[in-house]
Amino acid sequence: QPSFVVDEVSSIIKEAIESAMGGNAYQHSKVNQWTTSVVEQTLSQLTKLGKPFKYIVTCVIMQKNGAGLHTASSCFWDNSSDGACTVRWENKTMYCIVSAFGLAI
Amino acid sequence: GCKFNTERVKRVLERALAGALGTTVYSPQDSAQLAQSLVELLQSQAKEVVPPRYKLVCQVLLGQQSQQSLLVASQALWDPKNDNFASTTFSNASLFAVATVHGVYFE
Repeated sequence: QPSFVVDEVSSIIKEAIESAMGGNAYQHSKVNQWTTSVVEQTLSQLTKLGKPFKYIVTCVIMQKNGAGLHTASSCFWDNSSDGACTVRWENKTMYCIVSAFGLAI
Repeated sequence: GCKFNTERVKRVLERALAGALGTTVYSPQDSAQLAQSLVELLQSQAKEVVPPRYKLVCQVLLGQQSQQSLLVASQALWDPKNDNFASTTFSNASLFAVATVHGVYFE
């Protein structure tokens, strides 16, 4: 039975974030490119897993300036096959939150 | 129509956010709970206007208004014929919220 493996997806997401933004400080002019890169790389690696799933990947990048941020998600799906994984990453100047959802076809 | 109606879902989200948040002030202690109850509310409201056989993924981002910059991006691997999403934002002097609902057709 194909299933959404959280650890597997979590590694994919972490790698996508590191490769897009690792070692960089927040730069307004780069954010667009970073979110695109994170989302595209994550989706492409998920596709390579070859599982019969539809995927949705969301990326949020926020500049650190002391403001609070909360995220929440809720899904109406099939508990036995579908799954979600959220990775929170940060460095000195920004936060990045990436969520990947897999819905069995 | 039997498809996900983006405009209709967007209006539902807008009304729900404005109704739930109105003049609410951002509070670090309460916001985590607020985000969770908000996303559950949005999901139940969205479910009412989405045709059957659609799986839904709802997300809410709730933050403090503080002159910071924020960017949200999303991409999906799905069937563009049937699958779609709706998104809206709400803000007042103290907080902002971004709500997104993705609808995925289940054969």
